[in-house]
Amino acid sequence: MEAANGATGSSKPPQNGQNEGGSDFKLKFCTVCASNQNRSMEGHLRLAEAKFPVISFGTGSLVRLPGPSITQPNVYKFNETSYDGIYRELEEKDPRLYRANGLLNMLNRNRSIKWGPERWQDWQVGVPRLKHQKDQGSQGMEGGVADIVITCEERCWDAVVDDLLARGSPLNRPVHVINIDIKDNHEEASVGGKAMVDLANSLNKVAAEERDKIGTAAFDGGSAAGRSGFDERVPEVLGDWQERWPKLPATWTLAWF
Amino acid sequence: MAAAVKTLSVAEQIQQLNEARKIVLENASYYDRIVKGILPIIGPTSPVELRRWGAEFLAESLSTPVLNSRDKENLTVAILDTLRLLLESQGEDPLVLKASIIAAASAYPIAMRWIIHNSYHKESWDAMTAIKARILRIWDGAASPVKVCCVKFAQRVVLAQTASNGMEYKTNGLDVSLAMVPPNHPLLDHRLLEAEAAGLLDRMLAVLQDNSSDALLVDATLNCLSILVRSRPSTSNRIMNTVLGFNPLKLANSPMTPKTKVLIKSMEKTTRMLLIHLLKRDPSNALAPRIQQHVERLMRSRAEIFDDSNRKRAYAPPPANEYDNAKRQKVNGDPQQAAPVQVWTPGPQSLAAVFSLTNIMGLQGFDATQVPAALTAKINTKCLASMSPQVLDHAVNTIRTRLATLYALAPPVQPPVLNPDTSPLGVDEDDDDYEPDFYAAEDNEQILNKLDSAPTDKSLIRGPTDVALAPLGPFKLPAPPLVDSQVAAKVGQATSSRVFAPLPSLEEGALRKPKAGINRLAASTYDRDSWLTLITRLATRSAIEDASSSIGIKGEDGAVTTAARATTTPHLSNMIRELLYNYVLEDWRRRIEVAVAWLCEEWYNDQLTKRAGTGAPLHYERWALRLVDGFLSYITAQDKVLTRFLAEIPELSRPLLGRLKALCGDPTKVQLALTSLLYLVMMRPPVREVALDTVAGIWMEYEDARPLASKYLVKWRPGFIESQQQIKAQ
Repeated sequence: MEAANGATGSSKPPQNGQNEGGSDFKLKFCTVCASNQNRSMEGHLRLAEAKFPVISFGTGSLVRLPGPSITQPNVYKFNETSYDGIYRELEEKDPRLYRANGLLNMLNRNRSIKWGPERWQDWQVGVPRLKHQKDQGSQGMEGGVADIVITCEERCWDAVVDDLLARGSPLNRPVHVINIDIKDNHEEASVGGKAMVDLANSLNKVAAEERDKIGTAAFDGGSAAGRSGFDERVPEVLGDWQERWPKLPATWTLAWF
Repeated sequence: MAAAVKTLSVAEQIQQLNEARKIVLENASYYDRIVKGILPIIGPTSPVELRRWGAEFLAESLSTPVLNSRDKENLTVAILDTLRLLLESQGEDPLVLKASIIAAASAYPIAMRWIIHNSYHKESWDAMTAIKARILRIWDGAASPVKVCCVKFAQRVVLAQTASNGMEYKTNGLDVSLAMVPPNHPLLDHRLLEAEAAGLLDRMLAVLQDNSSDALLVDATLNCLSILVRSRPSTSNRIMNTVLGFNPLKLANSPMTPKTKVLIKSMEKTTRMLLIHLLKRDPSNALAPRIQQHVERLMRSRAEIFDDSNRKRAYAPPPANEYDNAKRQKVNGDPQQAAPVQVWTPGPQSLAAVFSLTNIMGLQGFDATQVPAALTAKINTKCLASMSPQVLDHAVNTIRTRLATLYALAPPVQPPVLNPDTSPLGVDEDDDDYEPDFYAAEDNEQILNKLDSAPTDKSLIRGPTDVALAPLGPFKLPAPPLVDSQVAAKVGQATSSRVFAPLPSLEEGALRKPKAGINRLAASTYDRDSWLTLITRLATRSAIEDASSSIGIKGEDGAVTTAARATTTPHLSNMIRELLYNYVLEDWRRRIEVAVAWLCEEWYNDQLTKRAGTGAPLHYERWALRLVDGFLSYITAQDKVLTRFLAEIPELSRPLLGRLKALCGDPTKVQLALTSLLYLVMMRPPVREVALDTVAGIWMEYEDARPLASKYLVKWRPGFIESQQQIKAQ
């Protein structure tokens, strides 16, 4: 449906992110950091540029951005403040400072990706996301669920897993939750974003391979070998990825929405 | 609609379906029409792409939070047949299976709620039951990704068929529970549902119990247990014990590939997250200390397995010339500078002066007696633990040198000071040999004694009182008072009860290493199992028992029977046995393993005693009977543990099985007794005859037990019943 406007630009019949087999298949991603500003948004952008359906969240109680001193952070509410609003407020406060520390630059990027920072804990999983069509990476996310959640810090991974446990897994939908430890600064976020795309590509390749195995020689009578599915291959993919990115320690679990 | 679509290619159809999906996402009120419309297209005969799309769409429709449960009931009832066909078609694509099972997991509580209120609609419940049966069959042989979905399905069944505490959310059928089923429902039987749920929970937990290394399955299972523990109280103990018994680090013994690293970390972290999650939400839980302990232990073991390089953020040492170094206090100053140079004058010195190691006058004048002794002890332990060995060595050497100087200065009136054993002090160059151990530090201790004839410790705790260098002499501990056997017995009794004290606080052997089998050492780890092994061996093989019993034989000449003697003279081992007996009976259902292990030890010991031929009393039979008597007074019809107990203990006698016969006096327990006996008949040929005799006895004695007993007798002792009937007839 949404792919009808030719996201892939190919001559093939346009297909959506959920159901087609073959190489056009795209896993749905969700990136998470503390404030949904730096690391998760870098990941959001990179994944969207790589044509993956993606959404992003923060797990903190409030959006916290550095202020004039360490004791005076700029604090905003999730879901109620737009990137654009924050941008304009900070620009008014002290354009020199916030340009020098990269905040304005970051907010400018963010406001081109989506409306505002969203809080993980307030996300109603499974409620259709149709009002986000202008967001980058929104194509394929209409169902309001993700296959892979990537967090950028152990603390956020803990918050996500704990929240999923608390929700009681009402949707019965499996989700891989992967943490990549990225330091909260622009340089590391950029490296982390690249690593995320690498991981997403590796995972998607495996998922597409598994989708292509149509029919699978008689499931009921088949032997265990050769029947491994995408889910089973995730740890292997992550292990290989970790070898390529040894400075970004990763953690993984299979949780439920 | 279906007819129109059939003429299109698969890709075109999917495109149309996607359009349809978009419509329902925009407006949920179309779900009913669209779902029912697509059902004919996605049946088992459609192309696999359509089946995949369809199954995933069904899963999405049944789980969407935008529909309320009433709408979902209608959907579910309409979907069930298609779902059943998809699941039951042979060789189905794994992705279709996965999505269908997930859809079934969402459908289950809804279907159950529907049938609770609409019991006339039997066919929908039949379809759901068939789906359930099919999924539970698929579970066994499936690949992990499909299995994972089966686990989730089972979780929803358990959730729906267990009584809730009303703590769960009222959405998505999480609130459907056994409590909603009316007691007189024509299709749903409370007990059956509950029993099925218990069985499924066991099956779910099996993956943890077997300590599986399939991280996908382990994680998926752990991640769906939280709501069960929180909202279905009857499952929580079972789950908690299993999770606490699960060792996620077992894989660490295998070679560390990148993949195994991911797997180990994942299982450990997931286990820990679940435990922390539960602890946070119920900190007053009785298991809380155990959970806490377990979490800490997991973290320690994980840290041991993954060295520092793998930790979150390796500490990067700051550049050497960084300015903020100035802010850091130097805690470890050069030890050579730390001790003041004392100038000693001949004559008495205070202990404080001898042992002070600081240059700061204020600190030297500090009255250490003001610090409570307990606090001092704590501070000392902490300091000693964190102190670098160089600093300690240096301090000790400084004191040594000082003492040596003092001796040199001391007036020659005290010849013991120049004792050749102690004089080489301070000249000792080899500092590495110094160990703060009683024996190795003998010289030092002696000097301390000589310095202070009063009890050393006391004066040290009291602090820097001026104690003169008192006349010196070798220090001897007073001889301990003699202990006669009565006092020993009394003390022994107290001691043996203390032996049991650590049991509740000991952890279960969660991190148990792979079973060592016969080479196992009794107490190689400090967990509950090994401690119990130690206790059982104390009871069965203590030396005191042997000594006293052999004396008993000589003195009493066999006039008193062995059993009577064992009860009249409370030997230490019998006291322990008594305590062990009480321990087992306190919670016999769960401590049956302890009982079995103990009886095995008793039996072994009896065999040794028989072989030695000393005529010492035998214990096995007596304690086995006592244990069985103990259990039987509390046993209920569900306690299959009895069967297990009888199967596992090393020897069965007629009196023991006779107890089972008595059990049949209660008609509800007939089945338990007879099944236990049948098991023995089948699995333990040596006691087959005895067991059959018992069954025969039951047949003759208890009218109520006849139907079942005769079933077994017909099979295993053909002709018996006929002969009895003939006898009766005559």
